[in-house]
Amino acid sequence: MIRMEIALILVIAFIAYIYFGAERKQSLLHRTFSVLLIALIVNLVFDAATVYTVNHLDTVPQMMNAMLHRLFIGSMVFVVYLFYQYIAILIEEETGKARSLDLAARVFLVVAELGVAFFEITYIQTPDGNYSAGPYCAVSYASVVFYLFLCAGLLLSNWKELHPKKRFTIGIGMAIEFIVCVLQGFNPTWLISGMGLTLMTLAYYLTLENPDILRAELTEQKMSMLYLKSQVNPHFLYNTLDAIRIQAQLDGDKKVADLIMQLVEFFRASVKVNEPVITLDEELEMIMAYLELMCYRYPKLYVSYDIDEKLLEYPVPNFILQPIVENSLLHGLKNNGYQGEIRISVHKNGQGIEICVKDSGTGFEDGKKAEIDEMLLHYDHKTKLEGNSIGVLNVQKRIKLLCGKSYGLSYTENEEGGLTAHLLLGECS
Amino acid sequence: MKKLRVLLVDDEIVIREGLKKLFDWAAHDCEVVGEAADGMEALMQIDTLLPDVVIMDINIPIMNGLKVVQMSKMKHPDMAFVIVSGYDDFSYCREALRLQITDYILKPVNYDEFGVCIDNLKISIFENKKMEQTGEEGEQTIVGIVRYMQEHLKEEISLNVLADEFHLSAQYISQLFKNEIGVNFLAYLTNIRMEQAKKLLLSSDDTVAEIAEKSGYADYRVFTKAFKKSEGVTPSQYRRNFQEM
Repeated sequence: MIRMEIALILVIAFIAYIYFGAERKQSLLHRTFSVLLIALIVNLVFDAATVYTVNHLDTVPQMMNAMLHRLFIGSMVFVVYLFYQYIAILIEEETGKARSLDLAARVFLVVAELGVAFFEITYIQTPDGNYSAGPYCAVSYASVVFYLFLCAGLLLSNWKELHPKKRFTIGIGMAIEFIVCVLQGFNPTWLISGMGLTLMTLAYYLTLENPDILRAELTEQKMSMLYLKSQVNPHFLYNTLDAIRIQAQLDGDKKVADLIMQLVEFFRASVKVNEPVITLDEELEMIMAYLELMCYRYPKLYVSYDIDEKLLEYPVPNFILQPIVENSLLHGLKNNGYQGEIRISVHKNGQGIEICVKDSGTGFEDGKKAEIDEMLLHYDHKTKLEGNSIGVLNVQKRIKLLCGKSYGLSYTENEEGGLTAHLLLGECS
Repeated sequence: MKKLRVLLVDDEIVIREGLKKLFDWAAHDCEVVGEAADGMEALMQIDTLLPDVVIMDINIPIMNGLKVVQMSKMKHPDMAFVIVSGYDDFSYCREALRLQITDYILKPVNYDEFGVCIDNLKISIFENKKMEQTGEEGEQTIVGIVRYMQEHLKEEISLNVLADEFHLSAQYISQLFKNEIGVNFLAYLTNIRMEQAKKLLLSSDDTVAEIAEKSGYADYRVFTKAFKKSEGVTPSQYRRNFQEM
């Protein structure tokens, strides 16, 4: 018999290992399941211990035996309570109705645990094996019946509102527990309560709590956050900005009107994130709007362009210039009090094109160049990145992905100071 | 050339005010005759004021702008509609094309560039009308001139070339454009070249360089720039946008 208990412990320990290793959404349901897994392992350990001690009544001290049995049944009642709690939370999440039976469940739990602790234990010896009995043992059956009753009530009263998969899971779990409980009741020497609890846990693990589903939930949560963050209704933004711009112009403030126009241009170009490839012209238009706004904010900043207009239709990865230019501003020119020049040039280069972003800033600190070169060379390595280098690395990744491995981003130091970023691009595939 | 009567439709008062006051309507021979703030009001104003041009937002209360166009087009087939919208979305363009909307511009409206839109409007009104000639002398001449321009689009066309061809003074021809169509010669020329280019971009497999040439631009770069200025996108982008539909 003890071999089965050990197998069950191994199964649940393995599940717990996977479960605790998986990333999951912080929710009451998942926390309850975590507690349930730990409680079940504790219960199974006591289960295994009592299976041994009850069959060695003459060698194990009476006290010890009684204590282990009380802990075993006590933890079992707690696990059954947790099953109820899990189902109640699940139904609450699905239907949005507050849990109303929790108080009854908890009062019962306290009473049951007191009963387990103080009722009398007897041991019955049979040729098939020994088992414990007496009033204390009745508590465990009473708990199973009580909590199954609560769960059945919850399940039936919310039947229509529950997702079929969740209905099925709850139903199967309850059926397993009921059958095991009846079998155990008629065959006291089988000692299969642990098996019932393990199967029930497995039912939940396989359907609602496995890593794939947890990950899907998490992704969904992240996406909806992202969606909220990025999609503050663009129409609202355009229209409001436009109304402000018109008001400014009506009031005779052409400067403010023009600035808002630039902002709208930049914003409109940068929300086209779902297009991986755009034309050079669109990319330049966005960066021009961006730089125009920056020049307004920092009047000592100068920008010049040298663009081969034949290339305006050239396809380039979307949003590759802004991170590079921002980098030049933040690392090159900010330390000069945003005093200096940025020059953007685009020319044909062999099969592809080369975009250069040259700044007259402070350049690399000692040793920084090697670090950046290293980072750009091993762009696909996972390294800890801080702040701004994520954007630059992301540009490198997208160029390599869309144009091919022979293209990419590199930095050189200018003789007269500052840096030049070279973006070598090929025909995007 | 009589003044164009314009109806403005937008649910936001500041946008109507902006269009009304920040664009020099008089200089473009236009007059704002009315305003409407929702679809229902727009329909009523269209029926009572009978404007030549309706400048309309798509996203207006009660009945959306495209629906208003659809219903009004049945009653007033010659009325010109310009859709102004914040929807940066080509599905609206497709719908607009289907409804034969004269022009489609995106918010935010740049008042300096709005004049081009009005010029295009006048040209399209003229193109629709030139079939039904009244026999007036100036009108006959201008129809002859624009036909010549249409047929010689690939060549270099200037007021002087036209003056030689039609034995008139360049200044007279220039005045003719102003009087009969309401736009200057260059605006008209650019317009028909762009129309040609757009037609070729959508209906042929010619390269952009070939289309530039067929539309009368010797320099591909000049063409791309002019196209961009007039349509807001580069030629190949324009082609792609419509192919995606």
